[in-house]
Amino acid sequence: MARSPARILGFLLTGCLVVVVPVLSARADDARSEEFFESRIRPVLAGTCFRCHGGQKVSGRLRVDARESLLKGGESGPAIDVNRPSDSLLVQAIRRRDDVSAMPPDRPLSPREVDDLTTWVNAGAPWPKGSAGFRSEPHWAFQPIRMTESPPARDEPWIRTGVDRFIVARMKAAGRTPAPEADRRTLLRRVTYDLIGLPPTPEEVKAFEDDRRPGAFERVVERLLDSPHYGEHWGRHWLDVVRYADTAGENSDHPVPHAWRYRNWVIQALNNDEPYDQFIREQIAGDLLARTGPPEQAARRIVATGYLAIARRFGHDIDKDMHLTYADVIDTVGKSVLGLTLGCCRCHDHKYDPLTARDYYGLYGIFESTRFASPGCEPSQMPRDLVRLPITGEAAERIQRIEAERAAIDARLKRLEAEQNGEITALGQAMASSADLLSEGQLPDATSATLTPVDGRSLDGRPVKLGEVIQLSINPRGNHGADSTLVELEIAEVDGHRRRWNVADLVNDLTAGNPHSDTYGHAGVWSFLDRQDGPRLLPESLQAIDGRRELHAWRQGDTPSVFVNTSARPVSVWTTLPARRFFAHPGPRGAVSIAWTSPMDGAVSIRGRIADAHPGGDGVGWRLEQFTSSEVSRHLAELGRRRTGITEALRRRTELEASRPVEPVAYAVAEGVPHDTRLQRRGEPADLADAVPRAFPVVLGGQKVRATQASGRLELARWLTDPANPLTARVIANRVWHWHFGRGLVATPNDFGTRGEKPTHPELLDYLAGQLVQSGWSLKALHREIVRSATYRQAASSSEHSPWYDAFTRRRLTAEELRDTLLAVSGDLDTRPGESHPFPPEATWSFTQHAPFAAEYETRKRSVYMMQKRNRRSRFFALFDGPDPNESTARRDVTTVPTQALFFMNDPFVHARAARFASRVRSAAPTDRERLNEAYQWLLGRNATEEEQAEALAFLPEYSALLADRPEPERAAAAWEAYARVLFGCNEVLYVD
Amino acid sequence: MLIKRTDAGIARRGVLRSFVAGSLLMPGILQQLLADEAGSSSPTDPLAPRSPHFPAKAKNVIFLFMTGGVSHIDTFDPKPKLVRDVGKEVKLDHPEIRNRPGYEHIFLKRPQWEFQRHGESGTEVSSLFPHVAGCVDEIALIRSMHTDHSNHYNATLGMHTGSFNFARPSLGAWVSYGLGTENRNLPSFIVIAPAQTYAGTQVYASDFLPGAHQGTPVVPGPEPVANIAPPIGGRRQELELEAMARRNRRHLARSHDDPMLSARVRSFETAFGMQMAVPEAFDLSRESEATLALYGLPRGGTQGFAWQCLVARRLIERGVRFIELIDTGSSGNWDSHGDMMDHERLARNVDRPIAGLLKDLKSRGLLDETLVVWTTEFGRTPFNNRADARGREHHSWAFSSWLAGAGVKPGVVHGETDEYGLRVARDPVHVHDFHATILHLMGLDHKRLTYRHGGRDYRLTDVHGNVVREVLA
Repeated sequence: MARSPARILGFLLTGCLVVVVPVLSARADDARSEEFFESRIRPVLAGTCFRCHGGQKVSGRLRVDARESLLKGGESGPAIDVNRPSDSLLVQAIRRRDDVSAMPPDRPLSPREVDDLTTWVNAGAPWPKGSAGFRSEPHWAFQPIRMTESPPARDEPWIRTGVDRFIVARMKAAGRTPAPEADRRTLLRRVTYDLIGLPPTPEEVKAFEDDRRPGAFERVVERLLDSPHYGEHWGRHWLDVVRYADTAGENSDHPVPHAWRYRNWVIQALNNDEPYDQFIREQIAGDLLARTGPPEQAARRIVATGYLAIARRFGHDIDKDMHLTYADVIDTVGKSVLGLTLGCCRCHDHKYDPLTARDYYGLYGIFESTRFASPGCEPSQMPRDLVRLPITGEAAERIQRIEAERAAIDARLKRLEAEQNGEITALGQAMASSADLLSEGQLPDATSATLTPVDGRSLDGRPVKLGEVIQLSINPRGNHGADSTLVELEIAEVDGHRRRWNVADLVNDLTAGNPHSDTYGHAGVWSFLDRQDGPRLLPESLQAIDGRRELHAWRQGDTPSVFVNTSARPVSVWTTLPARRFFAHPGPRGAVSIAWTSPMDGAVSIRGRIADAHPGGDGVGWRLEQFTSSEVSRHLAELGRRRTGITEALRRRTELEASRPVEPVAYAVAEGVPHDTRLQRRGEPADLADAVPRAFPVVLGGQKVRATQASGRLELARWLTDPANPLTARVIANRVWHWHFGRGLVATPNDFGTRGEKPTHPELLDYLAGQLVQSGWSLKALHREIVRSATYRQAASSSEHSPWYDAFTRRRLTAEELRDTLLAVSGDLDTRPGESHPFPPEATWSFTQHAPFAAEYETRKRSVYMMQKRNRRSRFFALFDGPDPNESTARRDVTTVPTQALFFMNDPFVHARAARFASRVRSAAPTDRERLNEAYQWLLGRNATEEEQAEALAFLPEYSALLADRPEPERAAAAWEAYARVLFGCNEVLYVD
Repeated sequence: MLIKRTDAGIARRGVLRSFVAGSLLMPGILQQLLADEAGSSSPTDPLAPRSPHFPAKAKNVIFLFMTGGVSHIDTFDPKPKLVRDVGKEVKLDHPEIRNRPGYEHIFLKRPQWEFQRHGESGTEVSSLFPHVAGCVDEIALIRSMHTDHSNHYNATLGMHTGSFNFARPSLGAWVSYGLGTENRNLPSFIVIAPAQTYAGTQVYASDFLPGAHQGTPVVPGPEPVANIAPPIGGRRQELELEAMARRNRRHLARSHDDPMLSARVRSFETAFGMQMAVPEAFDLSRESEATLALYGLPRGGTQGFAWQCLVARRLIERGVRFIELIDTGSSGNWDSHGDMMDHERLARNVDRPIAGLLKDLKSRGLLDETLVVWTTEFGRTPFNNRADARGREHHSWAFSSWLAGAGVKPGVVHGETDEYGLRVARDPVHVHDFHATILHLMGLDHKRLTYRHGGRDYRLTDVHGNVVREVLA
């Protein structure tokens, strides 16, 4: 039975150490004195040792919080032996003796501390009576969410939403008062950037200013939450947290062409206000949810697991460093969903939080039991294990029809092939039983030979009946690989019509058929046979060999084959093939045969010559035979009919494959081989301890994976979003607050552990987290609660955050907002969603650590759609504190450096946008005064003031006067472009109040 | 142009004055630059100069990185026994031959260059580095370097960030974070490289440290720093900046002198100064023939390691805190698998320039406050799968690096490898130790130079690193 996480937390968790110090009476500085203990011993035990031995953790099962604990000791035995004090493990450890683990592990105690502890142990380790042990308080973050009543309303008229009650209570307690409400224009600009990452358009400004009915601001909020740009902006926040990138990050930084589907899934999920718990579950186990959920949701749910698949890859051969990729996944899951630095437990128990290496490997087993799509790497370039996405609707029906027809074709093929095999066997038997050998011989390398009859046979005036077969076979001899053989063969009718059948006649249209008709219109006279596994017709016709279109062939694989040079010139390929000739090439294991089926009754003379066309090999052998059984030609003809049927079926099959709608694939995960994994000591995959059952961290409930036939991701997804787990809701509520106000109620949004900051407003955080859960995990409801608050609507006075929220905090635009703004105001922004990037086709990939993937792709779409590399960060994003694509980014730094100013002054992107903006503004109105207002409306949502008008109207002519040598229209345009850059560079544009 | 060109050697204060003296515009620039000069700085300025943890002679670093893995046994680590035992089969469990077909048997391969003693210290250096050999009395040579990984990517990342897998702040970013910088007209950390080395931009990234500490990449050529050359300059740009500054100052007054806003106003003034300071720093036209000859740089040259070294000296003069020079990119470098003779081409590219840099710094008194570091990511194997193989493979077990200049004990050799240069035999120096020593020379305690990120205090040396006291003066 799963225990309630909250209950376990109640007694397992400890956090902030409280040392209860009794009243001391001053006595001699003696090792037995209470004062010595309290002033010299307790501070070391409590301040240094307790951290790992008795606080939230009990390393080595040793506790240092009481004398008995020390005497009892831990895994290594008693820490103190009062009978042999100097042999005590504690003394040995702090003296860092060779045979014991040195303590503390990271740095030695000071010599005085060592002396004090030794003296104390020697004195029998007296623990003063009445001196309490050490107590600890539970860490706040692991406590259940408490939905306290809102504080009693104070300053009632000011309050707009529940948020304000908590804020005003704290503010008043600190003797502070709220800032006045920001003006409408400021508020509109603030909330527009905040919710969609773009500036309000002049029309939106006007509409808001004209809307004097109550609820105007709330209507703006609804409009923005409904905008498709909302998901693009807030999706980017989440992509920061999950360290999204379009490359894998291994040594050659392979592109990940399908990652964009996950990026767009995030955007779409936020636009749809998908419940946050479901949002998380789908990212952890969407593929498993897809199995049982509605079919139309299946594809997007599989895509959602891109959250896991986009994990960073490491090293040269990424399969060898998957332990680092799992570390990256655990670190990201820990930070993004739980606000815990789980990654710290790879090598050792967490130094500060109640998380252990066993917890880490319990999760590790879940991910190791999962099959991650693989991006490819230097030794293995192609991606693999991409997940095929199910498709629905018309395309699905088409695929169904195609599948049905293909199944029918496959059945027909199977039948034809069985029949063909029967014919092959029969033909072989017929040949064997009726062969009359006319000529045979060996052709050494680089020689030629004329066909001469064997003893007792003649090649002249041989009687033939209709349907009898004469066959020339070329066999391999030794190394078959260099045995292109020139064949000359003529069969001439002795009397009657004196017709002639010559292989040279086949040069013009060899590939017309196999069997092939003669020049007199008889069908099936010539057949070309592979003799390696029974006589079968050479199946494949080729219109070019090695790209040489003069060469045509029939072949089976590379060889055996017959081929012709149709050109009037010799063709140089692997050897020089003379013009207008017929060639044969035996197979490695058998002959190639040219069979002539007689179309008449009569007598023929046979003339022939064969020559090694590719000197340097071992030569070939030949046999010329006549088959007197009419069965031979009958089976040859049957074989030809089957062959035609098979060829036709295969052609149709290829056609069907080509017409099949391309099934999209996702860079996602699937179930792998379920298993528990062994703990890696010190994070070394080669140093394995016992297997750890797959489980949720103990501190969060410690539930074990019960599904033995599954990875456990589905269970993990549920544990993460179980309302009894207080972290998930708190962490996302805090993130949303952080992204609205520039600082979280917990200032370390990725770290809710004991090393993170404590919440400034714990009740408010729980209120928001509780509201979130109660609203069905609606993030949009949470936005409403926050942005409609009076707290949010205060005027800004500084970019320095006030802990009392008695003003709004000014903030700089992010890198994305800056770029998108410049594109938007200049009319250059392509607002359509981005999809895939123009990566080179996978078949061409050959990225190495010497020549890694390093392309840059231009786009005019919103910045969230730009291609982000892991190993070569874009200069623009590096310059303006963009996200780190290698590690979860909880908050963007804001640095102000002169190279950013150089960007505004000189970058071609800024100059191009300024030119477009200037021309847009100039064409919008006839006078400079009106144009100025237009420009100010776009960038700042207001008209220019009188002072600004005056300055600008002085600037424009002064600037244009510097261009006296240019024609007037050019001067005016240049001056306006310059003024556009002036405005772009203004703090009022770059910062949001 | 209103800029008055300065003669080399004029004090920086003078340089700054001269940039803006002629400009009647941008009021506040001069005042601000000089104020920065004087050390006053706003608390929002991450690059403000900061005191080291303890007094140190070194103020600046020039970090010379040779990409691809320089063979220690052919350059700075003589192994006479390797010459004698050439062709002898050895048995080793070496990462580069493990499970590698064709490498079931390996044989010792002799160095291809002769070693000689040099200087008063008598340190042996091979004929690959004749000019650097002439400077051995300035150098503390470490023959016992070792690293964690024999892949270029990981070893290069490790040498730059102390992390062999994960993206972490680079050494230069840590130094910038620890000490700030003195000349706000130039970035604190500049990386001059003709092409990206292994691991791309990560080798000079600030990662979780504030972005101001990231390396500014400079590609040798006519426009070395991005956006430094104004497409519209002169009076027209001044007019724009003036109009912008006026608006921003008014906005600042309305915004209660928000320090973040004023920092940005100042950043434009600094950028304006940079537009002049950077080209001036990179303009070698006033360098004497003798100086150019010292580095082996033809007059007018804007590329090659000689150019990089001479520019580095000029940047040092102008107060740049950390300059990294990378000789080659991730291909065509010291990775001589095919033929060790390629080392000659690569050594020729850097040997005279490095010697020139050391001599030039010394003659100008700058070596007393500048630490020069020379290193690569790993060494090369003393063996191959045939005794007559022309190349050598990657070798993480041992390689050589050296330090010179401020705070460094000159003319010493620290550590040694075994008779074949396979393993470190005495006084091993891991990359973390090397980093700890560099920080120490800068007056920074590698254990105290920390940054809180993701719930823990990070440092360049992770939980490792010991200062190599033997190379300290």
